[in-house]
Amino acid sequence: MRDGEIDDILKKAADARPGPDPALLDRIAGSIQPGMRPVRPLPSARALELLLYLAALAISVIVAAKLGLHGFAAMSGPQILILAAIPILIARATVLTIGAMTPGSKAREAPLTLFGIACASLVALFAILFRDPLSGPFVAPGLACLSAGVITAIPVGLAAWWLLHRGFVVNLAGAGLAAGTLAGLAGVVMLELHCPNFQTAHVIVWHMAVVPVSAALGLLAAKLVQIRRAHRRAG
Amino acid sequence: MHPDGELEALMARYQEGDFTAATALIDRLSPRIHRFFAVQFTSRASADDLLQETWLRIHEVRHTYRPGEPVLPWLYAIARHIRVDHYRKAGRTSARETSLDETPEIPAPHGAHAAAMTVEELLAPLPPSQREVVEMLKIAGMSLEEVARATSSSIGSVKQKAFRAYEKLRERLGRMGGRS
Repeated sequence: MRDGEIDDILKKAADARPGPDPALLDRIAGSIQPGMRPVRPLPSARALELLLYLAALAISVIVAAKLGLHGFAAMSGPQILILAAIPILIARATVLTIGAMTPGSKAREAPLTLFGIACASLVALFAILFRDPLSGPFVAPGLACLSAGVITAIPVGLAAWWLLHRGFVVNLAGAGLAAGTLAGLAGVVMLELHCPNFQTAHVIVWHMAVVPVSAALGLLAAKLVQIRRAHRRAG
Repeated sequence: MHPDGELEALMARYQEGDFTAATALIDRLSPRIHRFFAVQFTSRASADDLLQETWLRIHEVRHTYRPGEPVLPWLYAIARHIRVDHYRKAGRTSARETSLDETPEIPAPHGAHAAAMTVEELLAPLPPSQREVVEMLKIAGMSLEEVARATSSSIGSVKQKAFRAYEKLRERLGRMGGRS
């Protein structure tokens, strides 16, 4: 049996199917009539992406400037490449986050793919660009960097969430993961500008960890919103 | 005007607060949404409830439609969300999806004739993800890109699901003698 024949069988069956009761359609129209008022459509995706992108970078730079741009001052020529590479990942995360605001928007990649690409790229870049051997304490300065990175990521995540809240997110987990990854990357930018510790193990473990921790916080926030939505509807 | 262009124009008027545009959209799009719910093993009464809930949600989030964008992926993405929410509320989403994905093929009714079967019966042996792709792509007449947008997946994944679904349908209809 050819595809065309299957198409015909399906179409005939679908055409023969009775539609919804006209009385039901009248009831639906009646239920939305009281709420009829003009609404302003969301601004263009490009404008929102630019807004979120600039906000993420601005937060990173402001926090780093407050803490001191010691990392930037200590960087050699090739190491500055990291500051060109992470904003590219931030741009991809921004596009995904803004896309999650609108049902049926064009999905360029899955949030999990973006997360994987971000983590793998950071590990590779850190391993290539930062070659100082491990010396001195590892955990205490690492935890300080991780905390500073995550604290920087929080306002970026909140900015993303504020924008997402203005749309209608159909895939909460995906939106949480994308926004968390974006926020984590902003935290890493701050650390690269601020932290002068260029030991390979330090940057790979503690700087990179900001991304999975922020992504996990994004997923957790998404779960909480899902529970709240469910409660609100049940009530 | 192209039918999709008409829908876009109606959506723009709906956002401006035009009630006649809203009723025109309800009349034109409800049969599609109703069928979308019905082919997912939902009873007619549930399909009615879900249709009503979908329109209430559409009304609530109508500002998220961007003029100039295709209407159908936006609409179907909301309908899918309502369906998932419905399963979740009923506390059986995952169990149902898993069991349906693993359900052995449901035999056609004894003496069934392909042409006499309902669309729900024809699509019954397919897993939910393939069923919704066939419904959107082959029955609702959406493009591959529109289905990919509505289901938040890639065009390749939609093509693969449609291909697998048609393999199963071909085998099933072939066993019934290919009488159409």
